[in-house]
Amino acid sequence: MQATWLVFRREIGQYLGSPLAYLMGAAFLLLTGITFNNDLTLSIGNKPLEPALIPSLLASIMILFAPLLTMRLLAEEQREGTLELLLTAPISDSSIVIGKFLSAWAYFSILLALTLIYQVIAVSIAFPDISHVLGSYLGIWLYAGATLAIGTLFSATTENQILAAFLSMITLIVLYFGDAISQIVSNTQLADVMFNLTLRGHFMASFAIGILRAEDLVYYAGIIVIALFIAIQIVSSRRWR
Amino acid sequence: MIEVKNLVKKYGNFTAVDNISFQAQPGEIVGLLGPNGAGKTTTMRVLTGYMPVTSGSVKVAGYDVTDDSLEVRQRVGYMPEQVPLYPDMTVEAYVLYWARLRRTKNPKQAVKAVLEQFQLLDRRKKLVRSLSKGLRQRLGLAQALVHNPPVIILDEPTIGIDPKQVVEVRDIVRSLRDNHTVLFSSHILSEVEQICDRVVIINNGKIVAEGTTDILGEQTHSDLALYVHIEGDKEQIQGLLQQIPAVSDVQAHESGFIIRGNNDELRHAVMQLIAEQRLELLEMRPIDRRLEDIFIKLVD
Repeated sequence: MQATWLVFRREIGQYLGSPLAYLMGAAFLLLTGITFNNDLTLSIGNKPLEPALIPSLLASIMILFAPLLTMRLLAEEQREGTLELLLTAPISDSSIVIGKFLSAWAYFSILLALTLIYQVIAVSIAFPDISHVLGSYLGIWLYAGATLAIGTLFSATTENQILAAFLSMITLIVLYFGDAISQIVSNTQLADVMFNLTLRGHFMASFAIGILRAEDLVYYAGIIVIALFIAIQIVSSRRWR
Repeated sequence: MIEVKNLVKKYGNFTAVDNISFQAQPGEIVGLLGPNGAGKTTTMRVLTGYMPVTSGSVKVAGYDVTDDSLEVRQRVGYMPEQVPLYPDMTVEAYVLYWARLRRTKNPKQAVKAVLEQFQLLDRRKKLVRSLSKGLRQRLGLAQALVHNPPVIILDEPTIGIDPKQVVEVRDIVRSLRDNHTVLFSSHILSEVEQICDRVVIINNGKIVAEGTTDILGEQTHSDLALYVHIEGDKEQIQGLLQQIPAVSDVQAHESGFIIRGNNDELRHAVMQLIAEQRLELLEMRPIDRRLEDIFIKLVD
């Protein structure tokens, strides 16, 4: 536990200590701000504000954003040789991987929390469905956790950060658009199964429309656990090679 | 402190370390000597708990590296050949990070002490990326020593730094003797000779010789090498030198020759030759190669 905390603390320091973190934060707010502003303009007198607006936008953005956030995590340690030193420190391999994953998730959480400012604005000028909003935020938070865990996994596979980002992007695209194939097959049962395997299948059909389902929580938690488990095995396998 | 018994380490079909055994006592500096690819780094990686053994038993500070890996790792300070650094951390934060990961008591104090020992205290707020190669080497040593481990493993710590820094690092290693067991790898013979109490020479994953530097040195002294430079026609002189009964081998070297032969008679025989033939001797000196000699002999 203590080692996880130490790794986490170093990593979050890396995120918050680099100018890139603030540029990303700025870009994040710019993008979500424009989207919110558009929705606000469209909504005046016409329709209620879209409660899951920002989380739905982030669902697609995470496909690109999660690989960029996580590509560094383990790939850089391998390249710099610091992984060898970490693996000879009296700590478990899992504390390294989990600490790093949690730092990425925590950094994302900070960015996500910044977008709550739009909800404050929304509450002050209209009557949004608060529980719908918060449900969708919980959804995107878990969704992001799953994408970041996949990014962490691919960062463990290589010492090349670009390759790590590329591989996790491809995986996330497949996991995101995977159900597109179900629109080609005429078998509706198969299509249903496919949709339920995709990342957005567990977001768009529930959190985004104000539904909270246990199966979605299990799905995202499952992806996080499986991805981190594989990542830990990959890190440990450096000992056998 | 270090006890290696019949250690074998294979990578797939390739045997990197082939059945080696050696020991290191507390307060001893043991040199692991061998050409590149001999298995030095692999041996060290097994000792630090980075890699498991294929077979054999390895004990460090009383703990088995396979069964009590975490206990071993707690008691070992390790500096890999490429000093692993986090360029974006400050010197102080970097050492503190490793101190805490290794559960050092009073980590801040330990860091301060070790930075002082390596004269890095005034640079503690500097980013690691701004350090010169020699300072990075010192930082690598500081990292390995901050938790005051009983066993210290240094993989070629003097590679790639300038001569002044090499001397510095050697002095540091020597100063560790009193309280630590040090395993030190190198392919530079004179260095091992200067620093280490005992040397283990390995080649192709096998131990080819082991002993104190003195004992290893003596082995070559029975067979002395002399450099002689005699005025005159080279071929004629080579012929004359070869005729001396005590001389076993003559090789052209620089502007003279290196001759080898029986330690006791060689110099007398050369002087006699010069007197008899009325030659002019320009230079004669023993070539003190000691370990290098054994090394090349053993490795070939």
